[in-house]
Amino acid sequence: MEKQYYPQVGETLYKTKLPCGLQVAVLPRPGFTKKLCYFVTDFGAIHTEFTMDGKAYSVPAGVAHYLEHKLFDMPDRDVVEAFSAMGAVPNAFTGYDMTAYYFSCTEHFYENLRLLLEFVTTPYFTEESVAKEQGIIGQEIGMNEDSPENRLFELLAGTMYEKHPIRTPILGTRDSIARITPQVLTDCHRAFYRPENMLLCVVGDVEADKVAEIAEEMLKNIPSPQVTAVRRWDEEPAVSTREVAMQMEVAMPMFHLGFKCAPLPDGEEGVRREIIGDLAAEALFGESSALYLQLYEQGLIDASFGGGFEMVEGMAMLTCTGDSEDPHAVRDAILEQAKHLTETGVTEADFLRMKRSALGRRIRNMDSFDSMCFRICAYHFSQFDYYRIPDIYGQITCEDIRQFLKTVINPDNMCMAVIHPKEDA
Amino acid sequence: MIRTIELLPGVTLRCYSDDRFKQEGISLQWVRPMCREEAALNALLPTVLLRGCQSAPDLRAITLRLDDLYGAAVGAQLRRVGDYQATGLSCSFMKEKYALSGDQVFAPMLAFLQELMFCPMTENGVFCKEIVESEKRNLLSAIAAQKNDKRTYASAQMLKIMCKGDSFGVPRLGEKADVEAITPESLYAHYQKLLRQSPVQIFYVGGADPEALAKLLRPAFAKLDRCPTALPAQTPFKDLGGGEQTERMDVAQGKLCMGFVTPVTLRDPGFVATQVFNTIFGGGMISKLFMKIREEMSLCYDISSSYHGSKGILTVSAGIDPQMDGKVRQEILRQLEACQRGEFTAQELTAAKQALLSQLKSTHDSPGAIEGYYAVSALSGLPLTPADYIRAVEETTAEDVAAAARQVKLHTVYFLRGAV
Repeated sequence: MEKQYYPQVGETLYKTKLPCGLQVAVLPRPGFTKKLCYFVTDFGAIHTEFTMDGKAYSVPAGVAHYLEHKLFDMPDRDVVEAFSAMGAVPNAFTGYDMTAYYFSCTEHFYENLRLLLEFVTTPYFTEESVAKEQGIIGQEIGMNEDSPENRLFELLAGTMYEKHPIRTPILGTRDSIARITPQVLTDCHRAFYRPENMLLCVVGDVEADKVAEIAEEMLKNIPSPQVTAVRRWDEEPAVSTREVAMQMEVAMPMFHLGFKCAPLPDGEEGVRREIIGDLAAEALFGESSALYLQLYEQGLIDASFGGGFEMVEGMAMLTCTGDSEDPHAVRDAILEQAKHLTETGVTEADFLRMKRSALGRRIRNMDSFDSMCFRICAYHFSQFDYYRIPDIYGQITCEDIRQFLKTVINPDNMCMAVIHPKEDA
Repeated sequence: MIRTIELLPGVTLRCYSDDRFKQEGISLQWVRPMCREEAALNALLPTVLLRGCQSAPDLRAITLRLDDLYGAAVGAQLRRVGDYQATGLSCSFMKEKYALSGDQVFAPMLAFLQELMFCPMTENGVFCKEIVESEKRNLLSAIAAQKNDKRTYASAQMLKIMCKGDSFGVPRLGEKADVEAITPESLYAHYQKLLRQSPVQIFYVGGADPEALAKLLRPAFAKLDRCPTALPAQTPFKDLGGGEQTERMDVAQGKLCMGFVTPVTLRDPGFVATQVFNTIFGGGMISKLFMKIREEMSLCYDISSSYHGSKGILTVSAGIDPQMDGKVRQEILRQLEACQRGEFTAQELTAAKQALLSQLKSTHDSPGAIEGYYAVSALSGLPLTPADYIRAVEETTAEDVAAAARQVKLHTVYFLRGAV
């Protein structure tokens, strides 16, 4: 495998693309006991429209998540039990733009790896088991409906976006999942779980070449149909409804404020814009900003307040969220401060401090197995090598931040969702 | 691997020396009895300390200082461990070797942490009124916001009913009325009391030499006029009744919480077997509760059990369709009885042991897990090192597990359900 050393962060990464099309990344962790392995597909909740071998498909919302649940079924054994017998804990998650299957273990790593590769590439869907899953996912949807944080984001995304599928919950709805059949799952699996659409990433004290060898052996016979998924939705840059509200059993009003940004390109330019977005959020309302202190001291925000730059394939937004007795005052103060910042700019000293802080946090974060596995995968699908991050920080200037704030923080791009406490409560 | 240094009477420094990480961490905590009289004060204190010290008098000055230290993080730490409540600050920071040449991180960080703990902003000889009031508001909203997460809320309600006579029923953040009653004077008096008499636990993970660290930390404590008071020993669950209760709220999914008791705590020889039992019963995706009630019967989305070894309390928590309440309760008890009769397969036993072993063996792979294991063991009285614990898990037999299960008795049931 190809070995790359990143001296600034003291990391080594092995990477390769196998003949079967699968990409593999291994981050060695000598001296550590834990091994973490992600097997990820570039397919998430937003990918519901695609063509495969010339035929167009439109599948129900929530299918990526449903498929994630059902892939754990195998014809001849219980996957979770099989992992457990080897001391591994398997799990999976579905995001808007990727689905990941993973396990962590301390022993029997290569056997666990084989099992992971096998179960994810073995579709086994029966009418009965697919129907039964409706009950379980129905409960998960119910649980989500009781979570104010989830509802708040869904309310915001559903109002801000008219075309981008982020407007629909990852889990889908009770109606959409009722339309999922074994055939739908089989089609999606065939389209997106082909090796060339996937990545295998391992963090731990393992032999990189052996990982690659096992993956090639296990995946070499998987067919690769011609697939094109819809990945761009021509979303209007402006937001048509600027505020939306509902009531729930919560203690205090909760708000989620979003500013719609243009989607990011792949590769280095995308990452550069992401970091500019992060730093701009920091400059505007981060904990070291003048605004944060002012709002906190006025009692308009509390420790629950937070924000940053969020992106999913085909969309990006600058957001902040928190509890407040007066969300409108928070929103107005942010608009006001953004205007001020675009006029005065950020000072060079403040800017250097922010960059140093952001970089330091990223370096600390490298101790986390889970975070590294996730980031290597997420950046990989936008064709960027995560450990090059320090270089990108070096290239960004104060002026980039000012320009970003000027373009993005604008009432026309803005939407606020609020959940109020129930009045009778 | 752990080096323990008694800095001064009642002030204990524990160091786990490890150079594999890119960060270092240190936590400094006062250890208090968990009781209604102190809980709110202990919860509020670190948040007030984080509002300013003499050289960094407000939030912004603190954050700027942390930014300069390469994005170091300092936070309030408030932890319940059996009958104790540990309160204080913890910080984590990047290793100096990744800093630009000449920049220091370790020494200034340590100095800053001590300043936050020992040199707070005051006015008229007590904490600043405005800061105390503002942090009281925050704490009150955090207490009120607990009902936003229905699962946590239901567990807390259940524990309140179950532990009427035990410190475990005292809410970790204190009661609303007690927070409201705090004044700058009362909080400052409490702070002075902690400085004077509370046991202190310091935990460090990183590459620095323990003796050198002790040298940097000792003077701040030596300056204080201390007369440390030892805490009473940890006690097992004190039972003053429990019962059944249903609460109604406008929720889609019902939350069922069942509280069980066992005389076995983590200080007893049966602890490891009880832990293995809990794993078979409801500790993960292959547990009986998960496999039977979720996978086989599709009665819920999530269900799990946890064993609070410091007290000998075991809780089962499930998100269910409210119509299925009776059925789920019955099935939970049926699975417990199966464990008590030793009705679990060799595979179930092996898998549960493997799961615990994996977790224990990776304890030393993250600074947070290291701090969690050793700091909590020291407070709770767990007499096992990870290596002893691993051995005890390996030696646990099916009969040990069934015997542990037979000690477990249902005590309290709480159900949160929709309005209709």
